[in-house]
Amino acid sequence: MISIAGLSMRLSSGGRPVNVLSDISLEVAARQFLAIAGPSGSGKSTLLGLIAGLDRPTAGRITVGGVEVTRLGEDALARFRLNTIGYIFQSFHLIPTLTALENVAVPLELAGERDALRRARELLAEVGLAERAHHYPVQLSGGEQQRVAVARAVSRRPPVLLADEPTGNLDSATGKQIIDLLLALNRNLGSTLILVTHDAALAAHADRLVLLRDGRIVGDEPVNGVTP
Amino acid sequence: MIRLCAREMRGAWRHFGYALACVALGVGALVAVGSFADSLERTVGRSAKSLTGADVEIRSTRPLSAEADAVLAALAREGVARMRVLELAAMARTGQASALIELKAVPPGYPFYGRLTTDPDRTLASLIGEGRALVHDALLARLGLTVGERLHIGGAAFTITGRITGEPDRSAGVFSLGPRVLIAADDLGATGLVQPGSRVRHRTLLRLPAGEEPEVLRDRLTSLLPDPALRITTFRQAQPGLRRFWEQLTLYLGLTGLVALLVGGIGVASSVTAFIRERLQTIAILKCLGAGWRQVLGIYLAQAVVLGLAGGMLGAALGTGLQPLLAPFLSALLPFEVEPVVSSGAVLRGIAMGLGVTLLCSLWPLLEIRRVPPALILRRDVEATLPGRRPWAAALPIAAGLAALALWQAGSWKVGGLFVGGVAAGLGLLLLGARGTIALSRRLPRRGPLVWRQGTAALHRPGGHTGAVLVTLGLAVMLIVSVALLETSLRNEISGRSPTRAPAFFFVDVQPDQAERFARIVAETSGEAPPELIPVVRSRLAAIKGVPVVPDAGRRDEQWSLTREYVLTWAAAPPGRDTVVAGRWWTAAEAAREPLISVEEEIARTLGVALGDMLAFDIQGVTLSARVVSLRKVDWRSLGANFFVIFSQGALAGAPATYLATARARPDREAAVQAAVVAAFPNVTAIPVREVLERVAAIVDQIALAIRLVAGFTVVAGLVVLAGALAVTRRQRLYESVILKAVGATRSVLARAFAVEYALLGVAAGLAGTALAAGLAWAVEHFFLELPWSWQPATLALGVAGPAALALAVGFLGTFRLLGHPPLGVLRRE
Repeated sequence: MISIAGLSMRLSSGGRPVNVLSDISLEVAARQFLAIAGPSGSGKSTLLGLIAGLDRPTAGRITVGGVEVTRLGEDALARFRLNTIGYIFQSFHLIPTLTALENVAVPLELAGERDALRRARELLAEVGLAERAHHYPVQLSGGEQQRVAVARAVSRRPPVLLADEPTGNLDSATGKQIIDLLLALNRNLGSTLILVTHDAALAAHADRLVLLRDGRIVGDEPVNGVTP
Repeated sequence: MIRLCAREMRGAWRHFGYALACVALGVGALVAVGSFADSLERTVGRSAKSLTGADVEIRSTRPLSAEADAVLAALAREGVARMRVLELAAMARTGQASALIELKAVPPGYPFYGRLTTDPDRTLASLIGEGRALVHDALLARLGLTVGERLHIGGAAFTITGRITGEPDRSAGVFSLGPRVLIAADDLGATGLVQPGSRVRHRTLLRLPAGEEPEVLRDRLTSLLPDPALRITTFRQAQPGLRRFWEQLTLYLGLTGLVALLVGGIGVASSVTAFIRERLQTIAILKCLGAGWRQVLGIYLAQAVVLGLAGGMLGAALGTGLQPLLAPFLSALLPFEVEPVVSSGAVLRGIAMGLGVTLLCSLWPLLEIRRVPPALILRRDVEATLPGRRPWAAALPIAAGLAALALWQAGSWKVGGLFVGGVAAGLGLLLLGARGTIALSRRLPRRGPLVWRQGTAALHRPGGHTGAVLVTLGLAVMLIVSVALLETSLRNEISGRSPTRAPAFFFVDVQPDQAERFARIVAETSGEAPPELIPVVRSRLAAIKGVPVVPDAGRRDEQWSLTREYVLTWAAAPPGRDTVVAGRWWTAAEAAREPLISVEEEIARTLGVALGDMLAFDIQGVTLSARVVSLRKVDWRSLGANFFVIFSQGALAGAPATYLATARARPDREAAVQAAVVAAFPNVTAIPVREVLERVAAIVDQIALAIRLVAGFTVVAGLVVLAGALAVTRRQRLYESVILKAVGATRSVLARAFAVEYALLGVAAGLAGTALAAGLAWAVEHFFLELPWSWQPATLALGVAGPAALALAVGFLGTFRLLGHPPLGVLRRE
């Protein structure tokens, strides 16, 4: 489903060039649940962002579902994300001027779906927020915001779900709810799921664990005890 | 403290850049206008002697009396040289063609000061006299003549010997009836134009021996010749009409410039608000470290001083640099060249105004410092609302300070008061409109496509400055649109008159023995009913309620009414266009008993006369008293013969009267009528109404252009405020747009959402500003110009569409770079 070859990302930090990712190559099968772990600054989030085409790598190639992401133009990338990727951020990133319902509806509306708001209402109900539909992000708790973000990510039933430390800004109880929700939805969708985390317990849910350190893959192994 | 302040200013320049531009634009407008006014005043002052052509001038509408001549002859023995110059309107003709001219008859030594330049460049004595004349270019073109050919003026023929290229003492009104023709005083008699009752301006020019003060001579003459019909002035009082016109025009241009500065002030206030919002943490830390709020306020006020001074100086440079650009538009209204000067007065005044407005406008947001609790540093999130109430008590002194600055610029309580009232009302209404727009955008049903909702939602984005943008852009729109509306109304009024209302010609100086034949010829050639012939008698006001009128009587604005020439007529019935508003018209029996008059109501108020009072008029040396028995309202817009004072029939019998005639003619018959009248009556002056009105319209256009040019500063300042508001919300916009991109929005979706926001902002400002402009234009038309309101849909539509287009353009310039931003970095920072 996802094929990464020779991926490198070099950024300048304070005037000095830093190799965030160095020569990463990775194959992810369809429907696989992959966890990426590693200390902070190891390049996990950057890798995830590059897969979604949120930035351009310095070198290398990413193919998702047969589409070479690294060769797409700005607007083609946007359409690719709309149709292929569901993304969940650590700090939720809801649009502050839109209500919960409208936030969930955004991808549906962008895709021109006729009954976007009705669909969004169903999705909110699925994540247990039906009664909070008309609240703005600032009026929601962190856990609620993240649930809205999850609903938004799955609204287009994307073949690939990317979650970047989705529980990083939440307390552990709320974080567990989010993970349960995410995994349940993913089971229904049958998407390929890549989860970035440094929480070992969380990673234990995955089919496969990739370890990153200083921008390189230092470990890649199946996770025991869990079957898809 | 200073070091603290300097440190605080680092990194503040992003905010201050826009504020600086705002102040600079406002000051630039003021300095450009002020410098031009100064340049003009200096040019007039420097060439004052040549603008008068004398040290002292005596003006009158009739020849000097024998007594006055004796006084001047006595002065001549003290070395005071004198010459007599006569000016009058007349007709020049050749064959079938004729044209209205301004004729000037001068003696050989003309002028005392300044230089008459001619082509060919020869002595005056070799160019005029013995049937020779110098003419202005425009006349040659009008009549198709060349130098060397002949033309007729009144009953005399003249050979054109050359062209006038520069005339020092051209009575430099903004308006002239026709091109100049210069002849020798000795040739004037042959034209037969100077007859009793003719309209002639007599000027006696006096030259003093070196070293004597003209004011001394003027005062002596005033006491020796206490005749209110004589206007005695020194060269330093040259061209009072011209000066008054320009004082007025530059005053209004200056106030237009002040609006630009006030718009700039609003920009400053909104920049400072954004700046303080960012510095809340710093302020809280300073307070925690023991700084009092006054100290903290001082730190930021010092920055405002730097901002005001820097903006003021930048503006002064801008205004001084742009003055040569403004000058050509205004110089078209002037009979001489104005040399642009750097005016230190205008520069200093501009910088002071810039500093004042900056300080006052930044004080309001800076007072928020008082409300910042030191405990703010304990909270990570900055609270949107500060505790306590806004410092409303400070609003009054701030408003008073701004009003004082406006009064200073206006220079008078009346104009300044009107300006302050108007601006306050406009600002209040615009603020209300802005509030309404924001509330509406919040309550708008959340339906429709995503880009529409995203765009409308952005209007009530916190810290989004929708209010400031609406008010400033709206103010600019109001200025531009009201000027456009007024200009078009005036133009329509001038040029769009229906032929049934406006006569084609005024004929002046028809002699009594010519009246009958004149009426017949006009009726025959025009094919219309015979012209209306109105007897007129020229006079001066001699006494009001028995008190003689003296030259220095009354205030300056009253003097015009006291010493002007009164053109009198008589009638048995009130003129059709007038309405009697007090008293009643006389019966034949009443008219037979004593002289009675009907006075126009405004002039009666100025002169302080009521029903039953006596007014005395000096008619060619004979004094005639009459009782006021009615007051009239005159429709001055009607292009007919209107009179301040109308006598009862028979009261003016024996006075030297001429006839004034108004005649109608179809446009295609006008030339024939003029030709026939001028050929048959060389002494009669024909004033073609259409031509005169066209010239008035051209002046209106020129003035409107100048005002629009200055108002342009306001528009640019308003756009800078918009750009500043976009810069303040840049981070938020970027954040929202990358989220949208992350979930799959293309650049076109983002661009359309921005377009909705900017277009709505522009349309709202346009609607509010245009509505106010319509109100303002209506008020001016109704109360001052007495014009009927006319719908101008195109101007009104442009008033809404224009700002929308401008807001779109500036918005895109400010945000298009956001569209291509890769989302990942932004999302990770937030």
